[in-house]
Amino acid sequence: MDEIGNPLDSHIRPPIVTVSGLSKRYGSVIALDDVAFSIHRGEILGLIGPNGAGKTTLFECVAGVQPADRGTVVFGTGYETARRGDVLFYLPDGIAPWPDQSVEWALKFFLDFFGGRRDLVDDMINRLDIAPLRRKRIGALSQGQRKRALLAMGLLTPQPVLLIDEPFEGLDLRQSREAAKTLRWHASLGRTLFLSIHQIMDAGHVCDRFVLLSGGRVGGEGTADELASLAGSRPGVTAPADFEEIFLALT
Amino acid sequence: MRLRSHPWPQLVRKEWRELLSSRAWWVMIFLVGPLVGVSFIGAVRTYAEASGLGGASAGVGEAFSPLDGIWAPTFVAYEIAATFLLPFVAIRLVAGDRQSGALKLEGQGPMSPFSRMGAKALVLFGGWCLAGFPALVAGILWKTYGGSAYPPELASVALGHLLNAGLTIALAIAIASIAENPSTAAILVLSFTVGTWILGFIASLRGGMWELIAKFTPAAMLDKFQHGLIPLGTSLVALVFIAVSLGIASLWIRLGVSTRRRAFESAGLVAAAAALVVACAFVHPSWDVSENRRHSFPEADQEALARIQGPLHIEAHLAPEDPRRSDLEHQALSKLRRAMPSVEVRYVSATSIGLFEQTSAGYGEVWYELGGKRAMNRLTTEEAVLETIYGLAGITPPKETEPSFAGHPLIASPRGAAVVFFGLWPAIVAGFGVFVFRRRT
Repeated sequence: MDEIGNPLDSHIRPPIVTVSGLSKRYGSVIALDDVAFSIHRGEILGLIGPNGAGKTTLFECVAGVQPADRGTVVFGTGYETARRGDVLFYLPDGIAPWPDQSVEWALKFFLDFFGGRRDLVDDMINRLDIAPLRRKRIGALSQGQRKRALLAMGLLTPQPVLLIDEPFEGLDLRQSREAAKTLRWHASLGRTLFLSIHQIMDAGHVCDRFVLLSGGRVGGEGTADELASLAGSRPGVTAPADFEEIFLALT
Repeated sequence: MRLRSHPWPQLVRKEWRELLSSRAWWVMIFLVGPLVGVSFIGAVRTYAEASGLGGASAGVGEAFSPLDGIWAPTFVAYEIAATFLLPFVAIRLVAGDRQSGALKLEGQGPMSPFSRMGAKALVLFGGWCLAGFPALVAGILWKTYGGSAYPPELASVALGHLLNAGLTIALAIAIASIAENPSTAAILVLSFTVGTWILGFIASLRGGMWELIAKFTPAAMLDKFQHGLIPLGTSLVALVFIAVSLGIASLWIRLGVSTRRRAFESAGLVAAAAALVVACAFVHPSWDVSENRRHSFPEADQEALARIQGPLHIEAHLAPEDPRRSDLEHQALSKLRRAMPSVEVRYVSATSIGLFEQTSAGYGEVWYELGGKRAMNRLTTEEAVLETIYGLAGITPPKETEPSFAGHPLIASPRGAAVVFFGLWPAIVAGFGVFVFRRRT
């Protein structure tokens, strides 16, 4: 079975998270400005933007880690609304939780405390090459090792939507590809993934749809083809050749 | 179908592992042994001297109680540890989560912030109880020397220190939850402790409202327990303070809530707590568990006083720093408040030391008013106070039937204590510490 799925038609999948009018300021700095988009069930949605675009702030506002100044985040299909904690789990970037504990303990804690999926543990350990790290302290891991361990923990959580901030940060090329394959495989099991990625080429490999964010504003939302059409319709822009050109044209 | 155990025990287990990984906790456990050792060895030697060691007068030792001579000074080690070591252990456990990013993960878990803070407090309290082991060893050593131990007194001292530790833990957790930086939290916790000491000092100079507030500081609370008195009102105030501190910590540890809202909610919680503390100030019952019943009049007097109807008003013209005021308070009035249903005491003075009031008319007088009758007595002894009250109530003083407390003098040297507290304890703790850390790495 091909693990790289086809781009999804967002129109036939109901939104599981709907964000509208989300704004956030830090003093005089506008981090998010009237952001609106939807996450559809079963898709891998990529939040693409350069450093400082507001990706992490957007993730934290959607996940409820930070309060937004304005806007709404609705969880559910429109017919039913659900509690945030029942719908999504957010895996931040740049953290080293429980640095004195072993990776093995942390995986078990995720299973026991967050009610993680035990049936996926062996797969995660194999796919993300966690076995050699199991007895190591989280605080003693390299950045790439820690990222893989955290990805495994996040992917074990039971919520239908998983937000991962920079899933490929700190990973080398081979590890990034393995992680991307693991994410696609995970989505094929029915999980909805929302990934924040600043490397545009990485995003192109793994995501079904994209939200382009620049300067706290959404520059476009859709599949690569939809975004290419949108970029092509802009005055003075010829048909963009690749995803980087699409991004530059729309942001 | 996914089956899983309840997350609360998982959380407690996790906090326990974090505590065991904390060098601050191991340092505290390591140091508590020598601290208790210094206190205990000094106390045993002093007790022996007071009991007549080396041909000294045995008169003092005859009235000596192990509560004053051994337990209170030995447990001072825990007051020091609770002030200067325990806050750092508690701050580390809370601030560590914030700094490592674990807070963002755990905040998305199934437990409420209050449950999470409760788990931390519970584990810290358990960790503190383990630090109590040297005190247990001191008790065993004292018994092997032939010393006397009155369990209710010991329980009172231990309970006071447990409450004090609970206050420290709750305060440190609350401040560590509010402050972004652990160093800031440490400074704030120590400032609070020093602040309560300053409050106690001001109260001893100024009296009045200061004195009333200072009654509820941890040091004042501990003082009562260390003297064999278990005051319900003060204990309730401590429990309210602990609950409110954990409540404030839960408000500040939440994710996705603005600082302004947290501040408003905290202010509301503090206001509710203040109302509860005021209510607790009117809760007067207390239990005198001292072997020599130092906080009570003789049984016959207690019964006679309890039968007196109507409020008793006492107006003492004595300055806060006048030693006679301290005598009156400790020898008579504190007992009177426990014995009589309604006693109102008012101190009157123009200065704090009273030195320049001595020549003023009326200074030094203690006025008693009961059932419309008034009487004055300048004496501040227990006997004089009781005699005046019985006179106003028209009661014949009951005959004293209780034998006076004989005391438990003991001339003993602290054999083996130095080896246990300065050698064995640090070695055992260091050994366990190395074992635990090696297993983790």
